[in-house]
Amino acid sequence: MLRSFGALCLSLLGLAALTQAGSSSGNSVLVVLQPSLKRDAFSLFFDGLEKKGYSLTFRAPKDDTPVIIEHDVPLFDHIILFAPDTKSFAKDISPQALVNVLNHKTNLLIALSPKQTPLSLLAAEFSLILPPPGMPLLSHFPPRDTAPTVIPITVPADNAVLTPGTPPVWFSGVPQALGANPLLVPLLRAPPESFAADTDKDAGAEAVVDAAEKGGEGLWAGSALGVVTGFQTRDSARVVWAGGVELFGDEFAKKEIEKGVKSGNTQFALDTAAWAFQENLVLRIDKTGHHLANETTPREHYTINDLIVYDIAISKYNAAEDAWAPYSGLTDLQLDFTMLDPHVRTALVPVAGAPGIYSATFRAPDRHGVFKFVVDYKRRGWTFLHSSTTVPVIPPRHDGYPRFLSAAWPYYAGAISTSVGFLLFSALWLAGDDRETKKTKKTE
Amino acid sequence: MPRAYPLPTDLSPATVTNTKSLVRIVAFALISGAAIASRLFAVINFESIIHEFDPWFNYRATRVLASKGFYEFWNWFDPTAWYPLGRVVGGTIYPGLMATSGVIYNFLQAIHIPVDIRNICVMLAPGFSALTAWSTYMFTKEMKDESAGLLAAAFIGIVPGYISRSVAGSYDNEAIAIFLLMFTFFLWIKALKQGSALFGTLAAVFYFYMVAAWGGYAFITNMIPLHALALLLMGRFTNRLYVAYSSWYAIGTLASMQVPFVGFQPVRTSEHMGALGVFGLLQIVAFVQLVRSHVSSKQFNNLLFALAVGAGVVGTVAIVGLTYMGWIAPWTGRFYSLWDTGYAKKYIPIIASVSEHQPTAWPSFFMDLHFLIFLFPAGVVLCFRELRDEHIFVIIYALVGSYFAGVMVRLMLTLTPVVCISAAIALSTVLDTYIDPSEPDLPVPEADETSGPSETTTDAPKKTKKDKTAPPPTSSGASVTELLSGMVVTPPSTSKKGAAKEKKTGIFGTDTRLAVILNAIGMLMFFVVHCTWVTSNAYSSPSVVLASHNADGLQLIDDFREAYYWLRQNTPETAVVMSWWDYGYQIAGMADRPTLVDNNTWNNTHIATVGKAMSSSEEVAYPILRKHDVDYVLVIFGGLIGYSGDDINKFLWMVRIAQGVWPDEIQEPKYFTPSGDYRVDEQASPAMRNSLMYKMSYYRFHELFGGGQATDRVRNQVMPKTGPTLDYLEEAFTSENWIVRIYQVKKEDPLGRDLKTANAFDQGKKRKRTRPPVRRRSAA
Repeated sequence: MLRSFGALCLSLLGLAALTQAGSSSGNSVLVVLQPSLKRDAFSLFFDGLEKKGYSLTFRAPKDDTPVIIEHDVPLFDHIILFAPDTKSFAKDISPQALVNVLNHKTNLLIALSPKQTPLSLLAAEFSLILPPPGMPLLSHFPPRDTAPTVIPITVPADNAVLTPGTPPVWFSGVPQALGANPLLVPLLRAPPESFAADTDKDAGAEAVVDAAEKGGEGLWAGSALGVVTGFQTRDSARVVWAGGVELFGDEFAKKEIEKGVKSGNTQFALDTAAWAFQENLVLRIDKTGHHLANETTPREHYTINDLIVYDIAISKYNAAEDAWAPYSGLTDLQLDFTMLDPHVRTALVPVAGAPGIYSATFRAPDRHGVFKFVVDYKRRGWTFLHSSTTVPVIPPRHDGYPRFLSAAWPYYAGAISTSVGFLLFSALWLAGDDRETKKTKKTE
Repeated sequence: MPRAYPLPTDLSPATVTNTKSLVRIVAFALISGAAIASRLFAVINFESIIHEFDPWFNYRATRVLASKGFYEFWNWFDPTAWYPLGRVVGGTIYPGLMATSGVIYNFLQAIHIPVDIRNICVMLAPGFSALTAWSTYMFTKEMKDESAGLLAAAFIGIVPGYISRSVAGSYDNEAIAIFLLMFTFFLWIKALKQGSALFGTLAAVFYFYMVAAWGGYAFITNMIPLHALALLLMGRFTNRLYVAYSSWYAIGTLASMQVPFVGFQPVRTSEHMGALGVFGLLQIVAFVQLVRSHVSSKQFNNLLFALAVGAGVVGTVAIVGLTYMGWIAPWTGRFYSLWDTGYAKKYIPIIASVSEHQPTAWPSFFMDLHFLIFLFPAGVVLCFRELRDEHIFVIIYALVGSYFAGVMVRLMLTLTPVVCISAAIALSTVLDTYIDPSEPDLPVPEADETSGPSETTTDAPKKTKKDKTAPPPTSSGASVTELLSGMVVTPPSTSKKGAAKEKKTGIFGTDTRLAVILNAIGMLMFFVVHCTWVTSNAYSSPSVVLASHNADGLQLIDDFREAYYWLRQNTPETAVVMSWWDYGYQIAGMADRPTLVDNNTWNNTHIATVGKAMSSSEEVAYPILRKHDVDYVLVIFGGLIGYSGDDINKFLWMVRIAQGVWPDEIQEPKYFTPSGDYRVDEQASPAMRNSLMYKMSYYRFHELFGGGQATDRVRNQVMPKTGPTLDYLEEAFTSENWIVRIYQVKKEDPLGRDLKTANAFDQGKKRKRTRPPVRRRSAA
């Protein structure tokens, strides 16, 4: 009954991607659920995932099976770690092992809690700075009947990951200060008037004030904090760090924000998971090519000052149709023609009439060497695109220079006149008088 | 006319001549055989392999030439060298050597003798050494006579100073260049003697070959003008000189400009200006001579002469002026270092770091030349006694060659031929004098040992004698008698003074003769023994394979090839390998992988970049490595088996070269201990211990000793108990004797951490808690 109710809720919310959807990188999900949490308490979220086509496998943190990775091949495409309070994990869920599976392109969704666990230590590796243990996020605003640790947070409208118009969500848990890592993708920020403290008594606020006086060092407060933060590794594997597991639970999902306004938790949770599991903002390079301006096949090498055409085909994953489609929507794609430093940096513009194809035409620099066509597209939230093609640029061949130069005419004239003069001289000498030759011999 | 011993009388002149030439041919065949055979130690002791460093490039280039043809070779752009700059090989090499091998290879293929190109490359140097012996013979023959020529050929055939550069497998430009050098000089002398435009042109053609073969062609470019200038200043201007020089210079210069690497240098660089200047001077002097022959006024001639000198001065000023204007390139650094031995060390460490650019140590003169070195001055003095035009050449060559050999080890090579020639002249004169049977007339002639004063006598088939007229020849040029190899008999052709003085040459008795001749033979035998010993022990190591003697006998250390083949078989073809430049050619040749720098040290900054990466800490080096797409770093480490030519011993050069470009970041004194020692043990300076080179060399070295004292056997120092750690590189391969160590450069951390932190995390180290960063308050 609960389940059907959840389904009803979802349909009421009008999820577009409900019917047929999937991840671009596979649908098997391992859910590590700590024993104190029950699957039913997250039914809206898990059912939502299953509806999208994911197959969920459940496992307790200390279980040994099913294993996450075998013979260096991960057995799951995504892992949900809902074990915020667990202090000890099985061997294959150690922080090092998690980073390892992440490097094998397995995506993670991790929930934290104010307690210190191996996972909260792992967060530090992702440039997330957690407050000391036992300091949840507090906020006394807006005035409400819940505890100060249960906070309604407005969902930003301009985040490409999240569905616009999502109602505010309930949050309870630990905030994260964000380090200066460009790989971080902030999804949900803490409210401006919130702060982390180890007590919900107002007396504890003194410490916050003190820290604020010192320029903010050691201050976990304000909208600079994140509560749900994404992270995309250099290989485009994705991790979502949520400050509290309740965010995904049915309880918060059904709790009203205001009278008559449902919370956006279900929508937000599924959006977040959709990003983490490579449904959204996923791009790929289908192929790259290069050739001379008036040819079609690539050369092994180019000559300096050649007119070179470089093109690249880019597809975007469409989760609704579970298919890749050519994508011409990138407006800021760039090509570098680089040898140590970029010698040419030019825009790759979409080719009209050829969906997904971007092209650039440029003149090779007047410098020989081993060059690379480099496309390096890194935008927050999007898959990182990187392509590097090495091609030597060589000086002209011995017969590749112009044959006759008008500037060289003085030399041509010199050579010709000398030759003619020599011929004339020889002719005169040979046809000359015998007497004279004798005379010259004598003088010698 | 008294005689010391009898000579046979009943031989016809034709028999004598035929026997002479037969013996000469046999002797020459033996000399060639000895020259080739003594260079084969390397092949017999090791194998038919290309040696050292530069030959590996030449070999690789030759393979391209042999497989793809000359035009592809001409246009060859090598993207794997000097990554990512690449190298225009066709325009930056002297192609003579490769072209020679290519021609030989194609010829042998054409007559269906399938010889591997490698064997041609290995055997090229010994083959050309025989030709060198021949051209030295021809040259010396012009100086004195055939007997001296054969002696000179025998000397140059086995003298270590030349063998050091031409053993089998030493496939370097010098292998053919010395032959070309001697042959060009021979043709020049011939052209000068005969005033022949034909020989002048031939000299120019071989000069062109030389230019195409070796950068040392500048030696010819300056020697011949110097000779011409000396003749001019001595008042020995003749039309012969004019014809020889003009034809050589005009054709030779135009031809040399056809070599792409040389290009317009002959008219634009200072090294070539001497030749141009002398050419101009000769034209002026020739003009003056012409005018003088038509005008008889002496004052007018003097005036003209003054004008000629004036024109010379104007020409010099013009050259200097053009140099200042930048039209003529000033002297290059290498050239300066020839005059000021400290120059390179101060300004161009890259040149000074090459061991063969160091000044020569005195013992190596004796080692390379043995007893020739003290016969050499005697030969030069003998040249002064005759002082024909060609002797002036030898004298100038001796002076210039001695100086350069003293400045740079590698230029010992150019000195060697003239030493052989001079020594041969000296020794042959001694032998001539002491073997000649004629004895001087006593003031009171009483009893002659033999009768027949004006008769021709010979005593053995191989000994000849043909003084038709007076036993002591008066004019040396005319009565140069031709003699045979070892047992040479000539009338003393040593002096010109005979013309004025009475015939007073000859030696009394046989005892003095025997004493001197036996002594000479003894020295010759010691010379042969010495040459063989030096060749087999010092100059026949390929340096790619090392040999060590231990209790079990000879042991071959093949770490280099082991490591290069590992690279070849275990890394992707595009993997870029960084190493110090010494090993660039070998990596390219044996491992076939792109390298950052190699032995063609044309780009100082690029080498300094590698030096900087090697001498700075991992954190500083890592971005450099990433920027250059380096996948593997290769170091040579000799500390385990005591191989002293390793990278730690070369390390200071890397530091110096890097310091030349980044004086703010790399400072040489920081790599010494406070007391000024170069140490690698506990007392090593922090900069030393943090440098990438140190870490890569000693990484896990102490583990090898299982807790015992780790000792570096090259530097004889005890290593610290804990070895260095590496965060940004990981060990990929270490060869059997640890001589070659290869490290792989790690990829950037996927989580964007620096690799040191990532490594600490992997090892389970707890990270210090951080706090949110301080936000700067706005000033408002």
